[in-house]
Amino acid sequence: MSPIARIALLWARQPGWLFLAVLLSLAALAAGVVLMGFSGHVLALAIVGGVLAVPVMLAWIGTARVALRYGERVVGHEAIFRALADLRVWMFRGMARSAAGGLGLRRSGDALARLVNDVDTLDGLFLRIFVPLLGAILLLPMLVWTLEREHGLALLVLVPFCFVAFWVPWRAARAAEENAAKAGLAMAGLRIAALDALHGLREVKIYAAEGRMLAEVQAREAQLLAAQRELTAEGTKLSAIAFIAAQGGILLAILLGFLGLPIGAVAAVLVLTAAFEAVLGLPRAGLLYGQARKAAARVVQAAEAGPPVPEPAVPAAMPSRNAITFEHVSFRYAADRPFVFENLSLQLPEGSRTAILGPSGAGKSTIASLILKLVQPVSGQIRFGGTDIAQLSAEALRHRIAYLGQTTHLFADTVRNNLLLGDPAADDAKLWAALEAVQMADVVAALPEGLDSWLGEGGATVSGGQGRRLALARTLLMNAPVILLDEPCAGLDAATEQEFFRVFNAATEGRTVLLILHRLTGAEYLDRIWRFTGGTLVAAAG
Amino acid sequence: MSRAPNPWIKAEQKSGFNAARLSLFLAGAGIACGVIQAGAAARLLAALLRVQPAGLTAWGSALVFVLAVLARAWLQIQAERRNFELGAAARRRLRGKVLSVLMALGPAGLRGRHSAELAATAVDRVEVMDGFHARWVPATGLAIIGPGLVGLVALLTDWRAGLILVIAGLFVPFAMAVAGIGAGIAAKKQFLAMTRLQVRFMDRIRGISTIVLAGRAEGEAKALAAAAKELRERTMRVLRMAFLSSTALDLAAAAALVLIVIRFAPVLRGAHELAPTALFLVLLVPEFFAPLRGFAAVYGDRMAVEAVAEEFQALPDDPPAVPPVHIRSVAAHGVTLAFEHVTFAWDETRPVLENLSFKVGRGEMLLLTGASGTGKSTIIDLILGFLAPQAGRISINGAMLEDLVPAARTRMLGWIGQKPVIFAGTIEENIRFANPAAGEDELQDAIRNAHLEELIASLPQGLKTPLGEGGFGVSGGQAQRIAIARAFLKDAPLLLLDEPTSHLDPAVEQDILESLKHLAAGRTVVLATHSSQAMDFAKTIGAKRIDLDALRYASWRGVVA
Repeated sequence: MSPIARIALLWARQPGWLFLAVLLSLAALAAGVVLMGFSGHVLALAIVGGVLAVPVMLAWIGTARVALRYGERVVGHEAIFRALADLRVWMFRGMARSAAGGLGLRRSGDALARLVNDVDTLDGLFLRIFVPLLGAILLLPMLVWTLEREHGLALLVLVPFCFVAFWVPWRAARAAEENAAKAGLAMAGLRIAALDALHGLREVKIYAAEGRMLAEVQAREAQLLAAQRELTAEGTKLSAIAFIAAQGGILLAILLGFLGLPIGAVAAVLVLTAAFEAVLGLPRAGLLYGQARKAAARVVQAAEAGPPVPEPAVPAAMPSRNAITFEHVSFRYAADRPFVFENLSLQLPEGSRTAILGPSGAGKSTIASLILKLVQPVSGQIRFGGTDIAQLSAEALRHRIAYLGQTTHLFADTVRNNLLLGDPAADDAKLWAALEAVQMADVVAALPEGLDSWLGEGGATVSGGQGRRLALARTLLMNAPVILLDEPCAGLDAATEQEFFRVFNAATEGRTVLLILHRLTGAEYLDRIWRFTGGTLVAAAG
Repeated sequence: MSRAPNPWIKAEQKSGFNAARLSLFLAGAGIACGVIQAGAAARLLAALLRVQPAGLTAWGSALVFVLAVLARAWLQIQAERRNFELGAAARRRLRGKVLSVLMALGPAGLRGRHSAELAATAVDRVEVMDGFHARWVPATGLAIIGPGLVGLVALLTDWRAGLILVIAGLFVPFAMAVAGIGAGIAAKKQFLAMTRLQVRFMDRIRGISTIVLAGRAEGEAKALAAAAKELRERTMRVLRMAFLSSTALDLAAAAALVLIVIRFAPVLRGAHELAPTALFLVLLVPEFFAPLRGFAAVYGDRMAVEAVAEEFQALPDDPPAVPPVHIRSVAAHGVTLAFEHVTFAWDETRPVLENLSFKVGRGEMLLLTGASGTGKSTIIDLILGFLAPQAGRISINGAMLEDLVPAARTRMLGWIGQKPVIFAGTIEENIRFANPAAGEDELQDAIRNAHLEELIASLPQGLKTPLGEGGFGVSGGQAQRIAIARAFLKDAPLLLLDEPTSHLDPAVEQDILESLKHLAAGRTVVLATHSSQAMDFAKTIGAKRIDLDALRYASWRGVVA
């Protein structure tokens, strides 16, 4: 099934609303066309001195059109809001089931943001593409009837009409699809260049590279603009062609009137004016469709990837102990990709504090993913409290292991709701105790609404270091015997990172700790340090 | 529109309309062509109805029709291309400004802010401004010009019908105002509601791994559905009212058409000369209302700006470049650095340095020791000019730091920190970052001196191996070597080393220190460290030492004034 069809299938959950929306929309369109045609007819009759039709009819059709348009808008939006909620909940559930590890730990926030943008793109699919297209199809018989009354040859006008309503949008869709990859690549390049300039600001200043970095960003921006300009040019050209075709059709209808029925011609011309006005937006819809197709493919793929590690049919009981051991574990992401590591063994005794250091990209985070059952070993075993984790349910296992990584997220919500994610049953005293442990109690108490202060966009802003400590408080609230940290301070300055670890040391005393880090800050309190290079663990001084 | 516009948006609006003049002229000319086209069509139709003689006039009208259509298509293309360029120019301008300001603020000015968040302003928030400049501004201008032009023509052609059209046009904003639900307010509410759902969804998707690992996925899915439902109900209450304003537009358009037909229908009989006029005015109705519809369609673009304006407004203007009192440059080789009674505090409760004085002669090394937070990095940042002291003098070869031309100061300073940043680009580009104009010999020397040859030889693409985002990941020691190669390539006389080995394990540290020794030769060096290996290394070179712990202790005891 094509991804677009898969998305359309989701709409089927709101059949009544969508059907009504389509119906009202088509009725409104028909009323508009009839209104124009009828006006023309009345005028033409009046001009040739024929019988004067009752203009009251006109007022009725006019009123009906206005009312129908209102109904179309209200029902259409009701329908689309429902469909939009369905799409988002479906997407969320699918991603939660399938790819928490793949998306949350490996992919950057950027890729996720793009997915969300993709979902937004799909919102336009129904009202802006599907409904107008149905309208164009509905117009066909109406045009046939009107044009035939004028003159048999007038049916020729259907050619430019179909050209505008179907062929041009199809071309636009193809152009947009071809452009989407180019524009996406340029956008990613721009983002990397801007991040480099700001992340590496110290180096940039010291090497007087402000001008060079700015030039680099501008070069990437120029690539993006070039891709967008190309698509705009194509879209503009197609719109102009559609406009010329439409007006050509109208002129043809007028000229054919000299051969046929003049009154019919006047009515036909006004009907065509309304009909072409209704379909002249379709080339733009075609552009949107081209982008939506790519978006739908990505969204469906992300939502339906399926669980990465199969759950055991009958999960074993959770062991009472919490030591973790890797026994000759080998892992690679796919059969055609090199091993991240082979035959890796590692012991994390209960209560020990271990760090694994290594360059980014070497695969240290894979160790965390394996422990959390986000991926499974190709060979070897990972034991938790002596039991192979393949036999344990992922959820039960994750209740024992609190994870805090660079992707651990603070939600745009209250401080309370952020903390409750760690322990939904916690009372105020427990929340304050956790905040106390990470030395954030004073900061939160000073916020205007204490625990109920809003964090993030439109709310209280905490500094990067404070944010990480809040995330740590949530992790502590999970009350898990094992704490797993993967680059918890990536992106923050060194002083803030050291501050974080000083708090961390005190707050996690007595638990089993595994730190996965790029490099040490010097503030960590550890029993053993491993260096992860070339797929093996080497003891480093500790 | 009854909201107090944010001054930043107001300024953008003004510059937007100024820039859009030509594009508005083109679009206005396009509408004029539309009027001419309607006139030609009316004449043709009149000829068709045998109330005007057919023949030559009819063919002439057909020709005018065709020319008007072609001209209009051309004008449309030109206007749309210009609109795109308006958006592109605005984005270029804003992005350049945002980045310049952020870079001018420097690492000290941006302390505690996440680089990804700042990059989002420079990239995504700037993109949002495209809709404002490329669509909203032209559509708004045209919503005034278009109906104005068409209404005027209608009035001049037949004042009664023209009046109907103009009154219908004025009814649109009037109806919105009387209903007390200005399109602005309603659309704003709708937009904000939509934005909130999008923000929530985006937020939950970004944090999806956090939710799953906390075992809260199903709860959040239900919460998301409930939020969407609540939002839909609230939004629809607003929208049912808001759509009345769009309905006012539909009503005005339909009423104008019907009234014009009614105005002409009775008088046409026996007054054939009125026929083309009547047809012309009927054809003008859609022309009159199209720009108003276009305006309604771009309201989202205008609203989106409200959401990002705050972020832009919060950016400081370019920090004023304080003109140096007496611009000086100093001899580039052999540098003496002096601190005289330097005091620095983050704020009143957090003093860092008090009355610090020291001097490092040319070619000497100063070792700064002390626990984290005692001010080692602060001293380095003061020398780099990222921070300014509250009191005291910092001088290089006797010239006050702030009196030096920034470019000259930068040229004298080399720096290696804890975690060098590796940029997206090849190894070669990362090293040349220090000096893009360096010759091949200099590059090879820097590579050799930093002991990078082995790494480069081991990589299949050698110097052209891509690093950084999506590229080859280098280890801490390798990254530090690249930083050392940069420092060699820059060849600055004053070298600042800020905990250069604190992230390395001892074996690698010893190796890096060897390279640093080589780099330090002949330069004035400030080394901040708490690593014992690095301290031993400094001693072998014969460095002076300032222990900031002892200093602080001394100042508490009143030993140092």
